[in-house]
Amino acid sequence: MSLEEKKKLLSNSILDGEEDLSRGFTDECLELGADPTSLIEESIKIALDEMGERFPSGAAFLPELILAGDAAKAALEIIIPKIQEDDSEAVNKGTVVIGAPFGDVHDIGKNIVGAILTARGFKVVDLGTNVPPSEYIDAAKKENANIIAISTLLTTSLPFQREVIQILHDIGNRDQYFVIVGGGPVTSGWTKEINADGYGWSGNDAANLCLQLMDDKQKPPLSEPVVFGAVG
Amino acid sequence: MARPELIEILERTITGEYCAVKDWDVKRIPRAIREKLKKYNLAQSFDADNPVNWDDSLADEFYKAGFELALELGMHSESTNRIVKISEGELVDAVENAPSEIFVGEGDDGIWIRARKPEDGTPMVYGASMAIMFPEDLWPIITEGIIREQEVDIIEGPSLVTIYGSELRSGTPFETMAGYLHGIKNRELREKAGRPGMGAVGCTTSVTEYGQFASYGVPGGFRPSDLSLCLFPSELKINNTVLHKVIHTHNLGGFVFGGSPAMIGGMSGPPEGSVLSAIACSLLQYAVLHTHVGGGEIYDIRSLTNVNREGLWALSVTHQALSRNTHLLTHAIASEVCGPVTETFLLESLVGVGTIAVSGTAFGTGQRPAGGKLALYLTPLECRFTAEVAHNAAKLSRKKVNEIAKEILPRYEPRIANPNIGKPFTEAYDIETMTPTDEWQVIYEKVKADAISLGFPFETDK
Repeated sequence: MSLEEKKKLLSNSILDGEEDLSRGFTDECLELGADPTSLIEESIKIALDEMGERFPSGAAFLPELILAGDAAKAALEIIIPKIQEDDSEAVNKGTVVIGAPFGDVHDIGKNIVGAILTARGFKVVDLGTNVPPSEYIDAAKKENANIIAISTLLTTSLPFQREVIQILHDIGNRDQYFVIVGGGPVTSGWTKEINADGYGWSGNDAANLCLQLMDDKQKPPLSEPVVFGAVG
Repeated sequence: MARPELIEILERTITGEYCAVKDWDVKRIPRAIREKLKKYNLAQSFDADNPVNWDDSLADEFYKAGFELALELGMHSESTNRIVKISEGELVDAVENAPSEIFVGEGDDGIWIRARKPEDGTPMVYGASMAIMFPEDLWPIITEGIIREQEVDIIEGPSLVTIYGSELRSGTPFETMAGYLHGIKNRELREKAGRPGMGAVGCTTSVTEYGQFASYGVPGGFRPSDLSLCLFPSELKINNTVLHKVIHTHNLGGFVFGGSPAMIGGMSGPPEGSVLSAIACSLLQYAVLHTHVGGGEIYDIRSLTNVNREGLWALSVTHQALSRNTHLLTHAIASEVCGPVTETFLLESLVGVGTIAVSGTAFGTGQRPAGGKLALYLTPLECRFTAEVAHNAAKLSRKKVNEIAKEILPRYEPRIANPNIGKPFTEAYDIETMTPTDEWQVIYEKVKADAISLGFPFETDK
């Protein structure tokens, strides 16, 4: 089988959410001499872009999106160590630590955002639900994250979004991470009130927000939050 | 074989098969649903051109498939990562012995929630509102305003976001304090409004078990004759929070009001998948949580509503499946995206609540103006309107509601992606006199007149 055919199989394994196959085809492509960076562009990114189109159009649903992200992640774990450091920064858009805050066990919003961020080239560290404020910061430090993303469905968990920012400020680390917020009761007004750096209404909005934050040359904290898809 | 006792359920949350929650969500649920849809040839049954189903055989096939799905999957405990399986005998017993009627509230102000069938002509009981956020100075005013709407059968009502001036924080003693205050004040407001025995849903301010313990069954708070709100995560998941609430409710001899929306676009996939998940979840909660009322909720996570075509269709099939094949006291919400003082908001409510009422749902609740996202976006007028819809839609056939839906959908569909959030309570009402502004009153009357011209039978004796 040719390298081109193997690359196609790799793409399909990502679209099908098959982690083991994705690892296998990645190894086989590299053995056939595939350039790691090109492999990301020609096989992985293409598959994730297509999955990113399928989800909002209703052609794919959340499980497929998550599994495709996992399969892509499995491939990237093999490829990225083979890329020179400056090249890897070009393909890895950034690291995002994400979770639902303390008191909130709803995970669908967080899962959607995490899956879309993975599809768009971010490394996503998912802390789960019911996450105390300090855990976001500990994880961001451990993972050398760029962005802390806090998604909540509950008004009574909103204060914990602010608390993360407050703690960063109190320990003198506010300028280390962008903090973005989203979820049912979150509005652009709340985002500004708590001095968060950004708000995204949908999963795609969150991804566009993260891309913009990483592309701009600004450092946190932003004087005005970047808002995508504002309500209220 | 009898329905398992609650202590046995708790044991199964510890001894059941181990399954990580991610595996449950992205592998077990979608795979099982896909297989069932294929086995029963239900995969392409969504009909966008006829959002309100009236095909009884389709509903019955979905019921059979949903029943099988319930037995195959069970419910997943997020707290222990174990699966609580239910045998066929246990499930049959739970469904057969579930209550077909309960009396909520007390005395002349209370109301019977009874099992219904599609097109049976009996009014659907209606509770208002969803837990829209209100600051504590306005919370008693809006809550009393809703209670005074005589068409509203059961008060659910908005949620507090502050307590004695401090922010509420979920899962902390703030919530315990707020839950108690909510329960006490809710009861006082029912007395003040002249409906002391009116049934209520407690406690919308409380998310975790702390607020529930603080408000339900305490002296002066929510009574055991009120409904105890015991929501749990999608799809087919339980956790220690809901189990605490359920056991607390049963300890007091109260009514478990269970619920968990099946999510179109989420783990259950397409509308057909969410119908199966909703049916399975509805059945299982009667075995696992010993629910009294609940089951049949649907939500489309892509559009953040359920009054789009997919949502309406899924609601209609789910509730027809359940009501035709069981006597469960099912429940549904119409989840609107536009807000007060907009025509589109009332049109969404008309179609959504009309759909569930004519499909045999026992108990409807709402509203969820502006998607429930914005504080202060709620007024008593839409509570009245939607209760009128709930009571009167029962006079219609499913085909007729489908015709009305098809006529009205184009008037609000374009706003689903770009909702008109309307106006907050403070701009929609004269708070001193508790009357709607002329603007809002005119919209209400216009929408009713439009609906009547389409054949919707708005009548009220209240």
